[in-house]
Amino acid sequence: MTADAETDPEPTPDDASETPPDATAGTDHAIDGDAILRIRDLDAGYGDLQILSDVVLDVADGEYVTIVGPNGAGKSTVMKTVFGLTTHMDGTVEFEGEPIHGLAPEQIIREGVGFVPQNDNVFPGLSVRENLEMGAYILDEVPEAQIETIYDRFPILRERSDQKAGTLSGGQRQMVAMGRALMLDPDLLLLDEPSAGLAPDLVSDMFDRIDRINESGTAVLMVEQNAKEALRRCDRGYVLVNGENRYTDRGEMLLADEDVRRDFLGG
Amino acid sequence: MRARPGVLFVVLLGGLLLVDLTAKLAGVGLGPIGGSLSVDRLGSNLWNGIVIGLVIGLAGIGLSMTYSILSFANFSHGDLVSVGAFSGWGVAFLIAGFGDVPVRALLTVRDAGSASPGDIGAHILTTPAAILVGLLAAFVVTALLAVALDRAFYKPMRDRDGIALLIASIGAALVVRYLLQFGYGSDRRGVTASVDASNLAFGPLGLSVNAHELTILVAALGLMLAMHGMLQHTKLGTAMRAMADNKDLALITGIPAERVVTATWIIGGGLAGASGYLYVLLRGTIQFDFGWLLLLLIFAAVILGGIGSVYGAIVGGLVIGVVFTTSTIWIPSDFNQAAAFAVMILMLLLRPEGLFGGVSTT
Repeated sequence: MTADAETDPEPTPDDASETPPDATAGTDHAIDGDAILRIRDLDAGYGDLQILSDVVLDVADGEYVTIVGPNGAGKSTVMKTVFGLTTHMDGTVEFEGEPIHGLAPEQIIREGVGFVPQNDNVFPGLSVRENLEMGAYILDEVPEAQIETIYDRFPILRERSDQKAGTLSGGQRQMVAMGRALMLDPDLLLLDEPSAGLAPDLVSDMFDRIDRINESGTAVLMVEQNAKEALRRCDRGYVLVNGENRYTDRGEMLLADEDVRRDFLGG
Repeated sequence: MRARPGVLFVVLLGGLLLVDLTAKLAGVGLGPIGGSLSVDRLGSNLWNGIVIGLVIGLAGIGLSMTYSILSFANFSHGDLVSVGAFSGWGVAFLIAGFGDVPVRALLTVRDAGSASPGDIGAHILTTPAAILVGLLAAFVVTALLAVALDRAFYKPMRDRDGIALLIASIGAALVVRYLLQFGYGSDRRGVTASVDASNLAFGPLGLSVNAHELTILVAALGLMLAMHGMLQHTKLGTAMRAMADNKDLALITGIPAERVVTATWIIGGGLAGASGYLYVLLRGTIQFDFGWLLLLLIFAAVILGGIGSVYGAIVGGLVIGVVFTTSTIWIPSDFNQAAAFAVMILMLLLRPEGLFGGVSTT
């Protein structure tokens, strides 16, 4: 799949050179200032299978960054690599100035990164409260104040505190998953397809919640199938194709760019 | 809907057995149905079934836990049961018979000596401290062995599939079993002393209850309650349920998998050892491979209850135990193990996930 796409000629070869002269979307993948997450020339994959090559990505402190791109572009792989769940091959991942590639997830959590995977992201047999408690497993004491903060953010979870997470609706489960990842008050929250599987009327509600998490100071790095909405909401967006950077710009600039719209946002 | 004919069959069969049982109790004979059966015998069958069931259920807890947290069926679990029995009774003998009988004979549960169970006099009424310390020793030694087996065999294979681990566990079972035979000998021998007036009769029920059976009841229920409290109300127990639910999510949540796995072996192995020790209290005899023979019934209980569920293992154990003993009302006692498996197979046909399967109680 990946190899095919690389060798196949683009539909309009003339326009699809490496950096089209008429492109308005940027291709400067690094930012100028300090970044809490700094990915440089990253090669990673699963076992011998390489998915990412030379990926460059920055997230500034408190920034809201989205990764979009076609299926199989390696969007989720970027997140999993940041979290130490893939095979790191080359390049660096730095978090708050310290290299974190090669660390185990348990150590990366301690650095201040939270991760909400796309599927199976709650413990169905545990109560809502127990799910949250597990999010703070590495602490000696259950942080009651943080549980209260999360209940204030997602009031329905307070009502459902003793209910098993497996009996909740999709949207409520997603809140439990986010709450669990927020238990250690991370500086960076990784969200893999947070709107996947949600009823359409809940999607915009979920995006509002993510906005509020970001407004409270947590940097967000998100992969989203709902690319238009994600780009509208975020500060900056990365377009990934075949495991490589293609475009990087402010969300509205990517939305406005004709090539991006045609090739990745369905017109 | 699919299971309807099967359910009907089971209900009819159960109804027939119930009618037959009532007829037997009333002493009415109608052709093949009925006959005679005293209330006493039924009561003692049920009581024995409950006691055996508690022992099987206690052993099943560990088997179910290792299945749900490590994803493999551990065939060395039965031999852990034997290890608990021998190590625990060695310690109990040492305390009960110290000074009168050579220490080597005591520690090997009488293999090297000519002392009889009566000489050592291990019994809950005469040497209660020895019996209780022995129970503790059975738990501790078996838990340590379970952790050692994990380090030696299963930890290096952590990423392998369940079949590879299952076969490795059969190898571990053989190693443990024949080391037991090497150390303790292969003869079956009596262990507990008999004490007069150890039977407590419950008059109105016509039930005669042995002090050792009461000990098993109290010890097994106590351990099960402790297990329940640990699982539901401690951080470690919650982490165990979390790992049983979703190992990948446990990893990215920061739950230290290896520590939880070690705790699983300690608790599961320890309970297996304790159940082996208690089983000897019930039967009065010990033999190097009795745990292996018991493993089939333990598996039946765990599968019946829903493999992976701790509570299912307990309920499954009770069902298997009661079927095991009450089936002798209808069939010769040589076949009662077959009756236990028949019930397990019926359960698999009607409800493949088991009694507690899919309920996610861990």
